[in-house]
Amino acid sequence: MQPLMSLKDITKVYGEGDLSVEALKGIRLEVGAGDYIAVMGPSGSGKSTLMHILGLLDSPTAGSYQLDGEEVAGFSRRKLAHLRNKKIGFIFQNFNLLPKASLLRNVELPLLYGGMGRKERRQLAFEALARVGLADRAKHRPNELSGGQRQRGAIARAIVGRPQVIMADEPTGNLDQQTGGEILELFDELRAGGQTLIMVTHDPSIAARARETIRIVDGLVLPNGQQVAA
Amino acid sequence: MNPTQFIQEGFVEIREHLGRTLLQTLGVILGVASVVATLGMTASMDARRDQYISESGGTLLMGVYNQPPAVLEMTARQRAKTGLKLSDAAAIRNTIDGFDLVVAEIGRTHQVRAGATEERFRITATEPQFMQMRELAMGSGRYITDHDMETAAAVVVLGSTRARELFGTADPVGKALNIDGKAYTVIGVTAEKIFFWQRSDTYNAHEWLNRLIVVPITSYMKRHQEAGAKDIDELNLRLRSSEVHKESRDALELLLRSRHGIEDFGVWDRVERMEQGAQEDMIYSITFLACGIISLLVGGIVVTNIMLASFSERMREVGVRKALGASGWQVFTQFLIETMVVTVCGGGLGLALGIVFTFGIMSIMQMEMTITPLMVVVALLAATLVGFFFGMYPAVKASRLDPVVALRYE
Repeated sequence: MQPLMSLKDITKVYGEGDLSVEALKGIRLEVGAGDYIAVMGPSGSGKSTLMHILGLLDSPTAGSYQLDGEEVAGFSRRKLAHLRNKKIGFIFQNFNLLPKASLLRNVELPLLYGGMGRKERRQLAFEALARVGLADRAKHRPNELSGGQRQRGAIARAIVGRPQVIMADEPTGNLDQQTGGEILELFDELRAGGQTLIMVTHDPSIAARARETIRIVDGLVLPNGQQVAA
Repeated sequence: MNPTQFIQEGFVEIREHLGRTLLQTLGVILGVASVVATLGMTASMDARRDQYISESGGTLLMGVYNQPPAVLEMTARQRAKTGLKLSDAAAIRNTIDGFDLVVAEIGRTHQVRAGATEERFRITATEPQFMQMRELAMGSGRYITDHDMETAAAVVVLGSTRARELFGTADPVGKALNIDGKAYTVIGVTAEKIFFWQRSDTYNAHEWLNRLIVVPITSYMKRHQEAGAKDIDELNLRLRSSEVHKESRDALELLLRSRHGIEDFGVWDRVERMEQGAQEDMIYSITFLACGIISLLVGGIVVTNIMLASFSERMREVGVRKALGASGWQVFTQFLIETMVVTVCGGGLGLALGIVFTFGIMSIMQMEMTITPLMVVVALLAATLVGFFFGMYPAVKASRLDPVVALRYE
């Protein structure tokens, strides 16, 4: 079967000339539908850059990235925004909920940008909040919620548009161990439902929850089994 | 994409940063207020002036007066032809169709005596249509008639003020009046005519009409001028309509010039004066409007500045929105609509402030205020345009933000 995401020799160089920094030095990676992958590596290893490229927020300097069989290079900004909206859901370490909007409005955002009508939007947003157990908090603002609740709200926002891939960047990094555990349980549930998940973390115990772990050091994917000095 | 969501978000922004937003729109508020106040005051004063003009004979009045030419040497024949004559009035009536009223007038000061009261007053010798032309009404008795003209009757009509001065509170109709020793009978008193420019004014702009002592022009010529003299001081004319203004005036000047053989008269013309007045008003209006527009421009720059200043705290927001799939166009639209919501609200406040300001000025001047729909339209349109043009740059900037950079921004 054709992989959902296929990366070949992806490099990313920031800056030019003497000041240039090679963040990714030729990444090869395949993500299949339904995979649950943890991307591990020390800070500065390039895992965030990889995440941004996978999530279509950034474009590689060279190499080929096929999403759903389509070569992403050369897509217009508009097309990329459209793909982000339809195929990818983001979860951030610091939740990144809009502070001025209610949880419900936050969750509605991807549907709004997708051009969905108000009524349908509201319905789906409620359903997504119910899935993460926050239906009774829909009208609350982020600052009225606990960290765990905020991250669950962010998960609702990520899943509301039924994207093919959920990308989580250190999703438990700002949470205590127990709350973090709840989030990871939610990921397990999503995974059980067939959701593809890619999670960036530097914590081996969290990475262990994933089905597969990729280690990145210094812009390269380490072969399986090799230990990382984290 | 539904813009109502963005309008909603605009209001959320306003609510969240009330102080900042107020500061941001202050220029717009003041600019709109000054534009509205200009329009309001102009409209109020125009309304008042229109009222005065219609109450004093309308816009269609014209007049011819003697203006001896600066020619030193004239032959006796020439001299005999110059000056306005009663026959000029007849000639105009017979040959120029554009005037529906032609009224000759002589005004001189004479010794006037009524009972024990004696004083020098100005006598106005004219024709019956004078009443129509000056929109006069009778208080008691009647006005001079064509019959009085034909018979050169020794009758006199008094303005209300003069009647009081000469006869006190008694009704003067039927009483005798002596002008330079000639006996006249009072046949009527005109109703008092009042027009105050300002409510508390003590100056009645129509008072001169209340101080008239009117006699038939034929009676005056017979009793107070040497025999055969047909000289008059003034011709009052009224146009049938403003469409015939130009042709009638040209015909009038041509006729008088050919009859007199020389340009020995001047013409006053309300249509012309109105146009001059409108031009002068325009200069004031333009000055005030220019201030308002400059204020709006400065206000617009402030709008842009504050949008840009608040930009850093919204970088992350833009990043998040883009990560969730907002296109550059959607971010642009959101920011632009947000700015426009802010400026239009400012425009609304400015409109209210402008009306309050106009009301204040008008009540100080004791004048009534007129609010026109134009004020509302201009206020909201100006605010919308300012929002659009000055919101453009921040919106473009936001839409072009690189999502990775924006998300990383702390």
